[in-house]
Amino acid sequence: MRIKHRWVALLMVLGLIAAACGGGGAEAPEETAATTAPPATTAPPAGGGDGGEEPMDDGMMEIKTDVGVDLEAGVIKIGLLSDLTGPFGPLVSLIVAGQEVFWQNVNDTGGINGLKVELEVRDTQYVVDNHVQFYEELKDEVVAFGHSTGSPHTVAIVPQLEEDGILAIPLTWYSGWTDADLGENLLHHGAPYCIEAQNMIEYLMKQAQANGVENPKLAIASLPGDYGLDSAAGAKIAAETLGLEVVYDGSGTIIPTDESTLTANADAIVASGADIVWITATPGSFAPIYGQAIAEGFQALWGGAGPTFNPAFVAPDSAIKDAIARDWYQSSYYANWFDDNPGSTEARELFAKYRPDAPAQDFYIEGFIEGMMMKAALEKAYENGDMTQAGVLAAAKSLEQVDFNGMAPPERFTGTPNEQLQRYIYISRPDPEGLAAGTSTGLQMIEELYIADIVKDYVFEEACYKLGG
Amino acid sequence: MRGRPLLFTSYEADQALMPTTTKKVALTVFLIALVLVPVYDVIPLAPDFLSKDDWLKVLTNVMIFAIGALGLNILTGLAGQVSLGHAFFMGLGAYTAAALGAPEGPLVGLGLPIWIWLPAAAVVPALVGVLVGPTAVRVRGLYLAIVTLGLVFIGEYVFRNAESWTGGSQSGRTFPRFQFRLWKEEEPLIDFSRKGTWFGIELSNEAKTYILLLGLVIVATLIAKNLQRTRVGRAFQAIRDRDIAAEVMGVDEVRYKLLAFGISSAFAGVSGALLASFVGRTIPERWDLLLSVQFIAIILIGGAGTVTGTLMGSLFVIALPRVVQDFTGWLSDKIAAGEGIVAKVGDFFIATSGDDFGIVNTLPGTGPGLSVFQLNLVLYGLLIIVFLIFEPLGLYGIWLRVRNYWKGWPFTY
Amino acid sequence: MTPDILILAQEAGEQSKLAATIWDGLSLGAIYALLAMGFVIIFKATQVLNFAHGALAALGAFFVASFATIIDVPGRWMPDAPAWLTWSLAVLLALIAAAVVGMVLERLFLRPMVGEELFAVAIVTLGIDIVVRNITNDWIGTDIRPLGDPWGTNFFDLGLLRIAHTEIAQFVVSIVLVVGIALFFRSRTGIAMRATAFDQEAARAQGINVGKIFAISWAIGAVLAAVGGIFASTFPRRIGVDQATAFFAFKAFPAIILGGLDSIVGAVIGGFVIGLAEAAAGTYLEQFEFLGSGFGGVVPYIVMLIVLLVRPYGLFGTEEIRRV
Repeated sequence: MRIKHRWVALLMVLGLIAAACGGGGAEAPEETAATTAPPATTAPPAGGGDGGEEPMDDGMMEIKTDVGVDLEAGVIKIGLLSDLTGPFGPLVSLIVAGQEVFWQNVNDTGGINGLKVELEVRDTQYVVDNHVQFYEELKDEVVAFGHSTGSPHTVAIVPQLEEDGILAIPLTWYSGWTDADLGENLLHHGAPYCIEAQNMIEYLMKQAQANGVENPKLAIASLPGDYGLDSAAGAKIAAETLGLEVVYDGSGTIIPTDESTLTANADAIVASGADIVWITATPGSFAPIYGQAIAEGFQALWGGAGPTFNPAFVAPDSAIKDAIARDWYQSSYYANWFDDNPGSTEARELFAKYRPDAPAQDFYIEGFIEGMMMKAALEKAYENGDMTQAGVLAAAKSLEQVDFNGMAPPERFTGTPNEQLQRYIYISRPDPEGLAAGTSTGLQMIEELYIADIVKDYVFEEACYKLGG
Repeated sequence: MRGRPLLFTSYEADQALMPTTTKKVALTVFLIALVLVPVYDVIPLAPDFLSKDDWLKVLTNVMIFAIGALGLNILTGLAGQVSLGHAFFMGLGAYTAAALGAPEGPLVGLGLPIWIWLPAAAVVPALVGVLVGPTAVRVRGLYLAIVTLGLVFIGEYVFRNAESWTGGSQSGRTFPRFQFRLWKEEEPLIDFSRKGTWFGIELSNEAKTYILLLGLVIVATLIAKNLQRTRVGRAFQAIRDRDIAAEVMGVDEVRYKLLAFGISSAFAGVSGALLASFVGRTIPERWDLLLSVQFIAIILIGGAGTVTGTLMGSLFVIALPRVVQDFTGWLSDKIAAGEGIVAKVGDFFIATSGDDFGIVNTLPGTGPGLSVFQLNLVLYGLLIIVFLIFEPLGLYGIWLRVRNYWKGWPFTY
Repeated sequence: MTPDILILAQEAGEQSKLAATIWDGLSLGAIYALLAMGFVIIFKATQVLNFAHGALAALGAFFVASFATIIDVPGRWMPDAPAWLTWSLAVLLALIAAAVVGMVLERLFLRPMVGEELFAVAIVTLGIDIVVRNITNDWIGTDIRPLGDPWGTNFFDLGLLRIAHTEIAQFVVSIVLVVGIALFFRSRTGIAMRATAFDQEAARAQGINVGKIFAISWAIGAVLAAVGGIFASTFPRRIGVDQATAFFAFKAFPAIILGGLDSIVGAVIGGFVIGLAEAAAGTYLEQFEFLGSGFGGVVPYIVMLIVLLVRPYGLFGTEEIRRV
């Protein structure tokens, strides 16, 4: 009996190897299961036509291509370096879903001048090694990267991107992407964490003053890394410019896997007696801090950067539902899912059509925004007659204005960094009733395209926080 | 003697690394095959896909992990000391290399050449390993495993807070490239990080790095294999099998345990430095428990205590995610094409749209069932389980069985 | 800044730091104690170092979230019943489900490994951890799943101290479970389990169904892990179960080692020691700048190391008799 089991094991191993070789050797390079665009276009014969010029089918215009665009098969390949099963998996999965639906719609309504877009998704698990590995794998298959998750991860591939001349859209709102040196091959989008913080601090200050607190005191707590420290840097800049006293500076002290740091932050915030608290964290690390603070009777205005909130906070069963509805102000880089602007409305319709069972989530919009930027770049490249990797990059960097149909403020990629800097945010407040009724994602927008006075005057020279050398 | 390959007439012959002609020939052919991988696309009958840059990177990754695994094999397989702290020593090696080899800048870096930082990445972790050694004398078995687990967490804490060395949590730093200089010249003598021409063949930087790592892993394997034959190696095995008896025989338990930790940490340090430089940039959270676990999985799946097993284990564990990914991709294409039994069966299990039923879905965002990426991870876990249940001696055990079968064929009853 | 080690005087309405730290430590310690106890029971009976304990804890918490909030069983059939009743029933169902999962895992993956090298078996549990964790995370999805407990963020304000209702509940449950386990080990099955732990072969020779004992020990272990997971996912630790819950159980390892791998008493005591150490470190050491952030998370391991140097088999572990 045991001997039979051993042979089974051996056969299994051999079988897997055979399948891999079968999959690998016959059609090089391989594709993963997560290619999209059903109704399925047949897989292109050799991943994305390599090398040389290929004349267009209808002979109207000569389009140059090298990698990632196959004019004969009518396919454009875009790579996505995503974190799907790692720490930001839940978030990024939604963004990828947004991209998928967006491109599905584009393909069904004519594609990019007849060319259909296929996504090559890779799960990096938020490990830099994997990120670099998948970049290497995809750089000879795709014409550009639809998103690249993680700031240190994106910084790790920037030298390669520059050497290979490929475009990528970073999936982080780090202020360094607006810096001309670092962001040469990148399309920044959305207000950077630093700007977001400045906007919110001024807004919260005005709210506090309206509530009768003349000189509100500010407490800051954040995760380490670019997300937390860029945002905290912005908060400190705002405090300095506005003359607010910072009574607690816990920037970089929230470690999600270490409960003691959460308790320490909660205690420190309470002890500082702040009137405004600016938090940049993950939902899982924010909730204990907030919960413990309010359990100690603490009350203040709490503000948080985009990824800090989770609809579960205002769910009917949530313990902190009422407190959060009272205290919380949420900033965002784009409009809400249920907003009535044309972009969000169209997105809802598309999801109802292609993914009727998907729950309502704001993060799908980020997928749409990324898709729209890539679409603008591809269309421009097509117009220029150059859909090589370098051509798409050049086209993207020549875009004067990319509109998002009301979902987000327009982006520009020409001009000085100071001109390109995105300064507008959206501000929302918790909406437990809406969530229970199904009419909102837990957030109700109260300010659209908000810009603080200090942000209007802010001159961007370099990133607020420098990622480690 | 001719015709009697297993008859050894001298001690050296018995202990030789390649005792029989068959082994000599096989090993030589195998080595040549390995060296030629980057040029497989011009060699007929060879699998082309291996010479592509991305597969070269996978293989280079396999070799980096193999070096680390050889170290752990010496500690756990040869000397019998269970250790979950390998990731900590890898991190130490990586940051030593960075501190010595990275160009001067906002973080600690001296800009020294590779022939200084790579050996240093072996020495510094070795010294720290020797410091850890005494706990192994006091604490045994699974207790030692958890103590070394503590090392990883303490290490993570240290790396996170030593910001000027590591770049800080979630932020990270860049590591020195694979470039050979004599001192601090502008242009390196040999540059493995740019494509170039060697012996008239145009090679990409991935190919050059592959060759470099191949050389290093061969050196490491020689060291590991030789260690088994020396006095130190025999002392390790004596401690592993019966440490009290060994001590009675005169094997100094303390000394050899310290040595075991030191040697294993040296291998780990080199592996960590190579890994960090290979990827180019990494964050302090990289050196976590999951990394240690990968090494344990490698040596157990490969066959604990054997060098060949460790190498096979590295190939299996590190190349596995890529293989599973290609397999599910191939399966998914078959289903999309819709022909054949595979497609029908697969279609039942896989959901391709929001309304379809399936255990797995091809929609990474939302939808019923597991996403393909989660399926990859689940399969990885299942393979580890199934493998250890059905073949506790690991890949090496399977290899032995196959080899003995063919050696004795047709008298294999 | 002067270290304020002993502040017993408090300002009006503010709790005493020392009292708060001690209570926090005990409350955290209760969770660690439960996780450690479940782990040690599995280890004692089956000699398996269960790396999948965290995943089982998260799974148990998720079952509660499912039964209590997502699918609302048995609440949907009892609309007029008080919240605490429906919730308790939901928890009961979840614990039964967790026990079943534990037994299934044991039968499927660990029974074939009987007699194999200890560390190989531990790696199998690692594989189980990967599988269970990823499937659970897929079910949990993108949001945090609240457990629907009826206590919310209410707390008792005792002047010196603020005690959340949930913490009282956790404490009571922990004591009940510890007492229950102690009594269990006096019952017939309990004695059979102790016999199996002591010497498997002799127990079989006595007619004890060792396979059944294995199944029961895994069921108990899974239930204890689930309870620990529930505590870790409720206020004030978290507000629900999410994809990070599974990693919480690793904090219990120092507790297990401290107490001794095969001592249940040691596990409980170890849990409380570690909880207190972590809370104390969090409160009193945060002010030392040079320690940076996150030192509180490392303190359990340092405490464990110190104890091991003095007593290499833990405080209550049995010393291994090594024969030449």
